[in-house]
Amino acid sequence: MTVKEPVSGKRGGVSTPDAPAEVAAPASRNAGRRAEVILAKYGVLVAFLVVIVVFSLARPESFPTVENLKSILASAAPALVIAAGLTVVLVMQDFDLSFGSMIGLGAGAAVVLMANEGWSWPVAVAVAIGFGVAGGALNGYLVSYLRGPSFIITLAMGTVLTGIEFAITGQKTIFSGVPAGYTSIGQDELLGLNNMVWIAALFAALLWAALDRTEIGRYMYAVGGNAEAARLAGVRTRALRLVGFVVVGVSAALVGVLISSQSASYSPSPGVAFLLPAFAAAFLGSACFRPGEFNIPGTVVGVLFLGVIQTGLTMLDLETYVINLVQGGILISAVLISRLGQRVT
Amino acid sequence: MSATPAATPPRVAPFLIAEDLVKRYPGVVALDQASGAIRSGLILGLLGKNGAGKSTLIKILAGAVRPDSGRILFDGEEVQLHGPLDATRLGVAVVHQELADVPNLTAAENVELGLGYPKRLGVFVDQRALRARTREALDMLGGRIEPGSPVGRLSIAQRRLVMIARGLVSNARLLILDEPTASLTDTEIDHLHDVTRTLRDRGVSVIYVTHRLDEVFKVTDRVGVMRDGKVVHAGPTAKITKAQLIEHITGAADLAPERRRRRVEGPSGGEELLRVEGLTSPDVVEDASFVLRRGDLLGIAGLVGAGRTELVRLIYGADQGSGRIFVQGRERQIGSPRDALAAGIVLLPEDRRQQGNVLDFSVRKNITLPHLSRYRHGGRLPLPNRDAETEHARSLIERLAIKVADAEHPVRYLSGGNQQKVVLAKWLDSGADIFIFDEPTHGVDVGGKEEAYRLMEELAIAGKGVIFISSEFTELVGVCNRVLVMREGRIVDDLEGDDISDQTLVARCYAE
Repeated sequence: MTVKEPVSGKRGGVSTPDAPAEVAAPASRNAGRRAEVILAKYGVLVAFLVVIVVFSLARPESFPTVENLKSILASAAPALVIAAGLTVVLVMQDFDLSFGSMIGLGAGAAVVLMANEGWSWPVAVAVAIGFGVAGGALNGYLVSYLRGPSFIITLAMGTVLTGIEFAITGQKTIFSGVPAGYTSIGQDELLGLNNMVWIAALFAALLWAALDRTEIGRYMYAVGGNAEAARLAGVRTRALRLVGFVVVGVSAALVGVLISSQSASYSPSPGVAFLLPAFAAAFLGSACFRPGEFNIPGTVVGVLFLGVIQTGLTMLDLETYVINLVQGGILISAVLISRLGQRVT
Repeated sequence: MSATPAATPPRVAPFLIAEDLVKRYPGVVALDQASGAIRSGLILGLLGKNGAGKSTLIKILAGAVRPDSGRILFDGEEVQLHGPLDATRLGVAVVHQELADVPNLTAAENVELGLGYPKRLGVFVDQRALRARTREALDMLGGRIEPGSPVGRLSIAQRRLVMIARGLVSNARLLILDEPTASLTDTEIDHLHDVTRTLRDRGVSVIYVTHRLDEVFKVTDRVGVMRDGKVVHAGPTAKITKAQLIEHITGAADLAPERRRRRVEGPSGGEELLRVEGLTSPDVVEDASFVLRRGDLLGIAGLVGAGRTELVRLIYGADQGSGRIFVQGRERQIGSPRDALAAGIVLLPEDRRQQGNVLDFSVRKNITLPHLSRYRHGGRLPLPNRDAETEHARSLIERLAIKVADAEHPVRYLSGGNQQKVVLAKWLDSGADIFIFDEPTHGVDVGGKEEAYRLMEELAIAGKGVIFISSEFTELVGVCNRVLVMREGRIVDDLEGDDISDQTLVARCYAE
């Protein structure tokens, strides 16, 4: 099949930068516009740096230290795992509100199998991850194939998962019988950093590569951008959305393993605390690098940002209510900043 | 039904003046010091190629977009339009080319949305009064639309009529119609022209954006032509010829020849590519059967709601129905677009914003989306090679003359016609045998239409099968070697050769 060249070379498709384009530009407005774009792209990063400088000046002896950095990284690691997983469904414009419960189920299942049933820790971890796959697949099936709205389906599924967690654990705290092999996952260090930091970094890097560098990732962004256009282009939209939920399920179960191994125990509903930080980090991240678009590098920045704020505010000995106000305020501002980049119509 | 333009519009000062409007988008200068004026009580035809800046100008007048610089004067006074509401208050009503309605509200609710519903007891919406009021406007347009039916269930053309009705009932001083007749039938177009003239005679100014030159001479009093973001011509319609108009639009005399009447030469008795038997989707398509052969350029004619789009969506697996589909003699189960693609069928959908493109994706990513796996880095891993993608995208940008500075620009910032070209570009090299074009020329400029015709012809000559849905009978007559006529969900005619004419198509489409 041949298609001729455009009729006239002069008026060809690629418009060269016209000379008149530079004429009569209201410089101030253009500059303002550029500032908006820069703010949208790097606003969160700048705020992040400012926060670090402020805390360093306020607590020069304890904040800017290697020990503190290591501690921030270790405490941020589980949050990074779940926030990165969550980013995948957010890219496709789905929600998952069940991961908090899945974290609890993962932790409960692993600990009960080892402490009460005497299973070896690798098998227990595998079973916990298996729960994550199954729960995520169920979410995905209900949302993507049976067309339930993800918001309410996953909210309800969270209750179901918590029910299973309590059925397995009897809703009791378990702090004995956890084998040393298991606790070393979350307690030992490798090259000076907690294992969890390496696990989280590896996990995030994998998801980044998948979203940014593979066909599946491109398709996922297409589903999020216009699901119908993607479907008509032959993209398997339903399967991809299901995969997204599986990724969140696995991330959540993994977090369950990490936190229970770090604490060498299980206590009921440990995952609830991750709900807001994970969403907050992903939305902060969508204000980074690619304004308005969820992306893994952004999510990483978001998680670290939240970790720094948490640690820094604690070091300042502020009242809890102040910490709440500041955290909430920062999140709202960041999300609004990310919207600037889209205000072009 | 007189087609005479208002004889001599009274010499009064223009009530609307636009001065040196400039608007830039990333990588595109949409308006480059555009100026113009319009008096009360006349119809101004606004012409220009895709991307010439018409839509941007309209959006600025409608208050939807703010210019980077320049002034707008109403009745001699400079005004700042901060939003659509400001424009509405000044008496500007716009019917946009792309649908801007609320699908879950009824036609009546859409027509009067924001204009103040009639109320009972000052609180409750008086649905009966609302529908009665709207019915008048809808009947005037002759679209047979029930005021109480949800707009989401109407066809695209009917939805456009609803938006036009909205402009009618708001008693605007300036009515802007952005390609109002695209995908309307001839009778509806005549109605619309009548309505437009009536409004003009009542003192309303109308800016009438169109790509159809015959319409310009039929209905407008003055004509303005835009090119590359500037107004390059403005004057009375009576004092310009078609050839001059084309010259203004294209910027060159030889670019847009009068459309010739063509027939695809070739073996209509070629090998059977596609056979459809008894395709049915309740209430939409009934028992449709036809055969498409290699070298066929098969048109589908029909009125709005005749089931043309629905039929091809069934074939493409985008919707589910019953019936059998054979591709090259083999029966295929087509349950999804993916299955259709595997069988060598591609569809270029009608609604490019909703279905054609991922608007926030770059031109490159949209073009490569259907066959991303062709652009892998060396080995077999599914890792897209951006350089190869870019190369491919650039070649198509050039081939189809898509107006964009860079393959990395989001499709969102392209004009409607150029977005349509991106949809075309996606499927051009797909290697499929069966190409379905659903209204490919809707909202596309003269040059773009020629491009689309030539493309379809070349596909047919290359031995592919092409299905071409169009609401413009002249297009079908000019390009197709066979035309199916659909009426109320059924295929009622399969015309070939000399049987295809404007008259036959009109007669068969309307036959009761």
